[in-house]
Amino acid sequence: MISKRYIVKRLLLLIPVLLGVATLVFSILQLSPGNPARVIAGERASEAAVREIERRLGLNDPIWVQYGRFLWDLLHLDLGESYVYRRGQPVAGLLRWKFPITMELAVFGQLAGILFGIPIGIISAVKQDSLTDHLSRFGALTGISVPIFWSGPLLILLFSVTLGWFPTSTRIGSEYTAPQVTGLLTVDTLLLGQYEAFISAVHHLFLPSLVIGVYSMALISRMMRSSMLEVIRKDYIRTARAKGQGAKITLMKHGFRNALIPVVTVIGIQFGSLLGGAVLTETVFAIPGVGKLLVTVIQDGDYPVVQGIVLVFAVVFTLVNLLVDLTYSYLDPRIEQ
Amino acid sequence: MARDIDRRNFLKAAGGAAVTTSMTAGCLSGILGEGDNDGGEGGTLTYGRGAPSDTLDPQSSTSGEVAKVTNQVYEPLIGFEPGTATLAESLATNWEMDGTTATIELREGAEFHNGDEFTAEDFIATYRRYLDEDYDYYNEDGSIYGPYLLGSVEDVTAEDDYTLTFEISKRYAPFMANLAVFALVVLPKSEIEAETDFATEMVGTGPFELDNLNEGSGQVRLTANDSYWGDGPNVDEVVFQVIGENSTRASSLNAGELDIIDGLDSQTVGQVEEGDGEVRRIAGMNVGYLAMNGAEFEPFQDKRVRQAMNYAIDTEALANNIYQGIATPASQPITESILGYNEDLDPYPHDPDQAQSLLEEAGYGDGFDLEIAAFQNPRAYNPSPTQAAETISSYLEDIGINVTIEQQTWESYLEYTGTGKHDACFLGWMTDNGDPDNFYYALLHPQIDVPEDQDFADWDADGYNTSNRAAWANNEFMELIEEGQTTYDDGEREELYQQAGEIFHEECPWVPLVHTEEIRGVSSDINNYVVELIGGPFLAQVQLN
Repeated sequence: MISKRYIVKRLLLLIPVLLGVATLVFSILQLSPGNPARVIAGERASEAAVREIERRLGLNDPIWVQYGRFLWDLLHLDLGESYVYRRGQPVAGLLRWKFPITMELAVFGQLAGILFGIPIGIISAVKQDSLTDHLSRFGALTGISVPIFWSGPLLILLFSVTLGWFPTSTRIGSEYTAPQVTGLLTVDTLLLGQYEAFISAVHHLFLPSLVIGVYSMALISRMMRSSMLEVIRKDYIRTARAKGQGAKITLMKHGFRNALIPVVTVIGIQFGSLLGGAVLTETVFAIPGVGKLLVTVIQDGDYPVVQGIVLVFAVVFTLVNLLVDLTYSYLDPRIEQ
Repeated sequence: MARDIDRRNFLKAAGGAAVTTSMTAGCLSGILGEGDNDGGEGGTLTYGRGAPSDTLDPQSSTSGEVAKVTNQVYEPLIGFEPGTATLAESLATNWEMDGTTATIELREGAEFHNGDEFTAEDFIATYRRYLDEDYDYYNEDGSIYGPYLLGSVEDVTAEDDYTLTFEISKRYAPFMANLAVFALVVLPKSEIEAETDFATEMVGTGPFELDNLNEGSGQVRLTANDSYWGDGPNVDEVVFQVIGENSTRASSLNAGELDIIDGLDSQTVGQVEEGDGEVRRIAGMNVGYLAMNGAEFEPFQDKRVRQAMNYAIDTEALANNIYQGIATPASQPITESILGYNEDLDPYPHDPDQAQSLLEEAGYGDGFDLEIAAFQNPRAYNPSPTQAAETISSYLEDIGINVTIEQQTWESYLEYTGTGKHDACFLGWMTDNGDPDNFYYALLHPQIDVPEDQDFADWDADGYNTSNRAAWANNEFMELIEEGQTTYDDGEREELYQQAGEIFHEECPWVPLVHTEEIRGVSSDINNYVVELIGGPFLAQVQLN
């Protein structure tokens, strides 16, 4: 069983991980050429104005002083203030409304990936080398190979411009003022009973989830297939069949659960790359989440926001991995925590 | 949960799923596709743009994205006639310059959205918030536009509720044009002194007022100001949508989700033309150029080398192939619609032989190594910076110049070129106020004294104007520009800038590359929309069919 002690231990491990990530991202930003003060000041600024901004932001302090300040703030859960957004908007406040947008996209994408990937993988394995298997493997290969920046615009062209079934972009129709309760639009609209807005939000989420989910689905179905193939050749499956259990029950009761362990790993890791894929998907579909924000702030040299986003991604990724580990012991009680 | 899955059942399920999906999609688009506006006869105007506003405070940003929204809500004292650089009445009805005194008469009966009447005191509070460090409500995050545009003001006083007098430190012709820049719009004194958070709230005198700013999506919703003093607005609502990807934005226009979009490049122009929308384009007030840094790179101290660079680069081909017809070759920094444009000047013809012989004359017959700094991300005046840099370097290699391209992100690039490390660099400029001084003085005057016999300024000298990326310092040119700044007669000014243009053309501190068009995609439902040249858009007059 999962012990509380184990969970606490794993959560404590977050601290060195985050410290490492924080140090890494801080160093990379420090090593990169350029001067955020100049971007903030703009093209028209005089040299004196640039120096004044450097002074105000403490950019000309020695690196170790800046690093110390960064860690000290982090210790107080303070991610700092944006250089660009509203000239000093707290990063936490900025991410507060951006992060749920990305999470919503990633969760919907992952759900699409799981809901389609697992059945396809199982069918592929059971009907190994049949037409269905070939088709689904071909589909999976295509799904992995097609880049989002290509499939996205193509889907927009087909489903939005030509067929008019789905909106091209953004998260909700411009006739609705998006409510801000949790930041998850589908949840917020339901909470406030704005059902038409909810439909609009889901409608807008469909294509981007599909695009981001296809990649996930492809990986999950491939992993499910190979894992399933391995499991159904095991002795205990033969034993179950030999004692007279039906093929389907054997498959689902003994096969599926055991085959699921590597798949869960993939789902966990995949969630991390979904966050990465969100950068592209959000760009193509004009979804204003952290992925899109990350691209912008890197270009602008808005270091505190870059650091904030990377840290939050690291936390989420680590927590998802913890969740995956916990799932193992549920799936296979022999795995001791 | 064990389920019987065989091929037939799977196909049945899959088919069912597909049908359900398409039916759901059909129903959803049935519910949502009509896009009816229940607001009233004016309707909702949706404007698609590439980036959100970093702030709603016009005094805290130099970004055009900020101006797009604030222009609808706030007003400056002096505005521009739609689609031109001609000054027009806004919150001021009359203005005159006399020596170092500017007198401005203000509009009576204009009201802020909070019900306050607009008076001279509001402008004074606005001015003090931007520039007076002793003011209790001074904006510490004020953008560079404050000192840049109003640095010459020594005193501003209200003669009465509707008359303002400015004392400036020296005669300064672009003063009124400076007042038309978006950053100098008038905020209400009462809100300034109530410490309203202008980054998230807007209270102006303009045709629209803020309804909602969405923190997550950056979407801004404005509603009509019913007590607006001027004509319009003709729509009930304006919604600014952020769609970063150009092609997605064009698709949204084609799908009828947006009414006006900006930031089109040559590819998306084609996309809009294929749809039902219309592409509107006018010559922009901008210039893209290659600055040759004489302070850093010795060969550029010889005029013949700079001329050779101009002969070597085929700007006509560049405009057609790299800019794909959305730009025209430039002969001088300013454009036709700006005072002082010199019609007698033509872009240098593409003549590699002439370039080669000039190099030989200058003693560089064997060429030289040259590093050209370039930025990576597209900008309005240079939509394909990498291709442009590569094309230009191939032209230069034709005359024996061995080019390395130093490509950097925008942030690093500004630092690298701003500290004068480049031999040559690409840059561009979009005018703030439509005045020739805003090009010639801002970009080509060192703003420090330089010895008569020296053509280049010392980059590290105190007060050097680092926007002059060529470090060019031609005393004859500098005198003309200074005279242009202090001359109030338009006819005389025009001549001065035309002469300055000639010197520029002969001396070649830059290779002026192109002037890029202002392009918008507009749906067929839109009436009365004029593509703006500076700042913009101005949506008060726009109507929806």
